[in-house]
Amino acid sequence: MNSAIRAAALAAVTALTAVSAAKADTELSLWSHWADQDSKIEFIQAGIEKFQAAHPGVTVKPTWYQKNPLFAALKGALQAGQGPDVFYCEPAQTEYIDNGFLLPLDDHLDMSNIEEWAANSWRHDGKVYALPLEAYTVEIYFNTEMLEKLGFALPDDGQLSAADFKKLVEAAAGEGITPIVQGAGDRPFPGAYLTHEVLLKKIGIDAYGELLAGRKKWSDPDVMEALDYMESLIKAGAYPRSFATMKLGESHYYFYSNPGGLMLPMGSWYTSRAFNSPDQGGQPEDFPLGIMQAPALDGSACPECKTANIGGSFCVNAESPNAELAAEFLDAFADPEMGNLWLKKVLVQTGIKSDASTVSGPHADYFKMLEAADKNNKFFQGTPHAILKGQCLETFKQVINVAFPAGQVGAGQAAQMMDQACSAG
Amino acid sequence: MTDASVGRWGIRPVGRVLKISPDGPPLSTVTMFLTPALLVYLVFTAYPVLRTFYNSVHILHPRAADEYVGMQHYVQMTTADPTFWVAVKNTMIWAGFAPLLDVGIGLILAICLYAKAPFARFFRIAWFTPVLISYVVVGILWMWIYNFDWGILNGALRAVGLENWTRAWLGEPDTALVAVMITHTWKWAGFNMVVCLAALSALPKEVLEAAELDNCNWFGKAWFIMIPMIRPTLVNLLILSLIGKMKIFDLVWIMTQGGPLWATETVSTYVYKRAFQWQTFDLGYPSAIAVFWFFVVLIAVMALKYAFRQRDKLEY
Repeated sequence: MNSAIRAAALAAVTALTAVSAAKADTELSLWSHWADQDSKIEFIQAGIEKFQAAHPGVTVKPTWYQKNPLFAALKGALQAGQGPDVFYCEPAQTEYIDNGFLLPLDDHLDMSNIEEWAANSWRHDGKVYALPLEAYTVEIYFNTEMLEKLGFALPDDGQLSAADFKKLVEAAAGEGITPIVQGAGDRPFPGAYLTHEVLLKKIGIDAYGELLAGRKKWSDPDVMEALDYMESLIKAGAYPRSFATMKLGESHYYFYSNPGGLMLPMGSWYTSRAFNSPDQGGQPEDFPLGIMQAPALDGSACPECKTANIGGSFCVNAESPNAELAAEFLDAFADPEMGNLWLKKVLVQTGIKSDASTVSGPHADYFKMLEAADKNNKFFQGTPHAILKGQCLETFKQVINVAFPAGQVGAGQAAQMMDQACSAG
Repeated sequence: MTDASVGRWGIRPVGRVLKISPDGPPLSTVTMFLTPALLVYLVFTAYPVLRTFYNSVHILHPRAADEYVGMQHYVQMTTADPTFWVAVKNTMIWAGFAPLLDVGIGLILAICLYAKAPFARFFRIAWFTPVLISYVVVGILWMWIYNFDWGILNGALRAVGLENWTRAWLGEPDTALVAVMITHTWKWAGFNMVVCLAALSALPKEVLEAAELDNCNWFGKAWFIMIPMIRPTLVNLLILSLIGKMKIFDLVWIMTQGGPLWATETVSTYVYKRAFQWQTFDLGYPSAIAVFWFFVVLIAVMALKYAFRQRDKLEY
């Protein structure tokens, strides 16, 4: 009997040794966007080090991509069963969920450390499919000195009336200053920022959701009122002539450095470029940055509405042999300490619970300003390019994002094209 | 009367070794040398092509059985997809004009070099250099040239007082396609120049000397003698250029991604968008476009070959 027990114990020890040896050899692969964003890379590296310290012998090997090549690579790799263990994903990519490529993470992440609204962006059929890391709001950044020189002042709530906003655009254009610096040359969304903020405020959260879901027409009178207002701004010279080809990074530089512009509507991840050092394309240290609310048309259903969205997230490949371990890796990020670290390093909101008051240093005031700007807002969760699909999305990219703000089509034609594409599904 | 010892494909036993021909190497040697190349061809060319044909009549579900839909994708593509027809139109415009530009400019440059124009050695290198530059670099370079604010093109127009002519060349539907076509021609004219120059250099001197004796000037020699004599080369260049234009993707993707307002959308960029940017794993529909376009290119090439066939063989 004793010998049997000894043999069983020996077998158990051998098995455990084998398991730990196997674990010691485990390497998790991580494919991520943000190849050119040092602050985010540093944050992910910090998470990797934290996880590796808690899991001796397990290593995480990150590969950094730009977004579009990453998405193309993932499509092929996942279908071929060669996908990485963990990868960057965004809530719009529901095709991953529809085809069973994502591991539900409810049972693996400490959900009490994740904001409910952020988790909801990834909730499908009651399950959460990603770690919602990057959150952002759509803001209108502006040059406070330039605004003052043009003879304008913001009211306490930071929101000009639609009429005053138009006067501001006209005044800036009259002075040879680009009123709204924006470029849609390499991204499918920034050109539509202001149009959609005005639209959201005009028709309110529910109707806006209906519009993006294809259940409300773009030719609806309220929608048209918002588009007509935008067309009047465009005709007043709101956007630069190089709008259709200016790239996102160029628009940042244009706004705060050369030649300089009055406003830049942008996701609050503006900081990931602007707060780099000036020699790396960041804004000058003494740049007079302010945040204003988008204008609300008279009779708007929700003047305090604003767009918020979950951006960069991380998913676990359901087919990975290391899926459980990969989920543990993501759990290392679901921690308020990591949330605070994200705020400090990246200076953008996050879906992980965090405390903005912990941000110190030169950009602490910026965070206070951002908090104040968002304090009284109601948020619509999701951006058009994250919600629209297929031909409707393609038409949005070409028309609402580029051709309409570039003045190549008018409000009526834009609405007609959107209705045609979105009603066709 | 048949030789009973000859098997299928002409393989016959020679002594104790199977050979294709009596003087050739043994069949085993032939097989050993051919198999690797054949395998590469089967895996990387034949299979993808056949798989694309298969995909085009299916809806693909990555983790479930493929769904046969017959000609559904083809019907949808031709009857209910306006973007597809815009892409076809743009590609046809490109394939119709750009080969003439490419080959025409290449021929003119080659004749200049053949005629020993001043600094010919320098220009030969300078004109060929764009061929050696990657599409990414060419695309970025010309995006700078076309930049509205500080591009050299608008800068030059401003410098000569033509401010009103300045525009966002790649950002406006009226000019974007032409702007990208010019860039492509700039890149490839040098290749056509080199091939034409090689063909010109191979022409028999006696014919040209005879023309000179008849007081034929340079234009006459070029038009009546050189061009007809290098016609097969020109036709081949046109066909190669046409095929390239029908498949054009990289430069468009780098410079405009098909915009603005689909003004530079080509069939290839549209296939890519449908395959990789449509938030679906189903490659059925883009495969149908690819198959359809494969046959269009095939027919275009055959038609061109037929139209430019040489009825009388030149003798010199």
